[in-house]
Amino acid sequence: MTTAHTTGSTAGHAAGFTPDESFTPEGEYRFQNSREAVRRMPFPFPDDDYMYSMNLEPHVPAGDGALRAAFDIDEHYVSECRHRAQMLEELPGVHYLALPHMLEAQWDLLELIFESYARDFPEHFTLTKNGNEWRWENRLLAIDDTFTFGDPSTLPMDPMEYATRQAQGEFVVLEEKDGTLVIGAGMTTQRADYSLQFNLGMSFFEFHGPVPKLHEMGILDRALKFLLRMKPGHPVRRVNWSLTVHPRLETSVETLPDWAPDRTKVTAENAGDLVHLRIELQPLHRLPRSNGIVFPVRTYLVSLAELVEHAPDWAKRMHRALASLDPELVDYKGFHRYHEAAVAWLAQHDDGAPLATGYPWNEGGIQPGTV
Amino acid sequence: MLITGIKSRPVYDELTPMQSGLRHVAAGQGSGGGPLVRLLGAMTPEQRAVTTVLYSVESFTGRNHLGEIGGYRTAALQVFPSNVEAVEGLDALLAGTTMGTRLYLAGSEGFIGTSMQVATRYGLNSDEVLREHAGSFVRRVWCAHCSHYTENVSRRVFECPGCGRHLVVRDHYSGRLAAFQGVKADGEVPGEMPDDEELDT
Repeated sequence: MTTAHTTGSTAGHAAGFTPDESFTPEGEYRFQNSREAVRRMPFPFPDDDYMYSMNLEPHVPAGDGALRAAFDIDEHYVSECRHRAQMLEELPGVHYLALPHMLEAQWDLLELIFESYARDFPEHFTLTKNGNEWRWENRLLAIDDTFTFGDPSTLPMDPMEYATRQAQGEFVVLEEKDGTLVIGAGMTTQRADYSLQFNLGMSFFEFHGPVPKLHEMGILDRALKFLLRMKPGHPVRRVNWSLTVHPRLETSVETLPDWAPDRTKVTAENAGDLVHLRIELQPLHRLPRSNGIVFPVRTYLVSLAELVEHAPDWAKRMHRALASLDPELVDYKGFHRYHEAAVAWLAQHDDGAPLATGYPWNEGGIQPGTV
Repeated sequence: MLITGIKSRPVYDELTPMQSGLRHVAAGQGSGGGPLVRLLGAMTPEQRAVTTVLYSVESFTGRNHLGEIGGYRTAALQVFPSNVEAVEGLDALLAGTTMGTRLYLAGSEGFIGTSMQVATRYGLNSDEVLREHAGSFVRRVWCAHCSHYTENVSRRVFECPGCGRHLVVRDHYSGRLAAFQGVKADGEVPGEMPDDEELDT
């Protein structure tokens, strides 16, 4: 590999990016969203009542927001890549792991991310292929590297680590084995309340074990059957959500003693600033050579106050969905201590007006609202 | 965070002779000797003649089935004073095995789990292994915060010898780590503990 520039101080000053952000208490959670960043989010509440479902749909470009690209980036791209590097350095062997036989899938993933970024954001990324000699230019991080596709010795680290250190969101690679999907690798510096070390090697039903209701509802069986039929070039997506106190990306089981106490700090007065909706956009792709499936989780954090300010109709919808949420889901998602406070805070901003149903990127779906 | 009712625990089998096996390895610990005796009794003399038995006399409940096991004529019987040594013995044995080997495991969840780690390293598929749980329900627990492994955990809440935190044992099991997950029990409010109970399931 040759490196023309390393990730240095010149990185991230492209217009529209906010590199000087923090997702940690040490950095005092220096984070906010612009109005545009909020209104382009894949808002996950199509109805006033929320109950989970598979809600998989073809991952085709929709609108000019988060669903335009195969892998979305936004104004937080540079700061999130920086955060990933920091997390990997602080806890080695905890956030990135790959089983030894996953190398082919790693190259698959590198190719998928780089090709997608270069196609969807040509102003920031360029991929030039000359046979297996590839040149990768990432202008947002000031990276200009050449390497040989398929030859790990030409990269400074695993192909998956190399690619995902330059990508927003987390990535879990599943291998197909004995009629199920098994976790073979992951880059998960933003994971919500699970352990990659613990889950590595688990099958589809095992790693969904802690999610209530799924088994009884028969959702898992149908989801697995659907995923096993996936073909390369035909990705699917779903959205999911949770709540997090502070704009904290890294909420793993390993560091739970650091962040779980924050759950007791929320009141009906401060919920607007402390409570963040954590939207997860999950665009799944079948990988062509390895036959693996990549399960990416692109996380968007937005405070309740930012929702009210920039997307008032979404704030009203969220109030209703949270207020009527099944207690078992409240417990599973870990916010029973501040559920009431969040609902009370949002209630002040809900006039009860009827709202459109459907996801915002679908025709007739709920839009952010007039500000 | 869900503590109980998680569906990631292994589903165990009942040990019966696998007809497709050319060679059999039967490893057990403590109360797991019971299923081993039953398995040997169900085998034909020809199957027993190509069966190696490994037995650890370490037991949480104090049961020892060595006498009954020794009553059967097998290719070999290896006896170990501890589960760790039995798993090491299994490792050494599997290193020299060939295609057609069938593995039978019986005993505590911790013994079966650590033996499965070895079997997986040698590429034994799930249809080449049978596992039967026997004896107490003590668990092997991995601390999510300091990565310490604690054997024979019998309570829902216990103090981690690695980091001193009180951990709550979730019914969440990792085959790769051969352990249940232990997470800080009073993670949200220091001193506010979940209900303790005996781990008897």
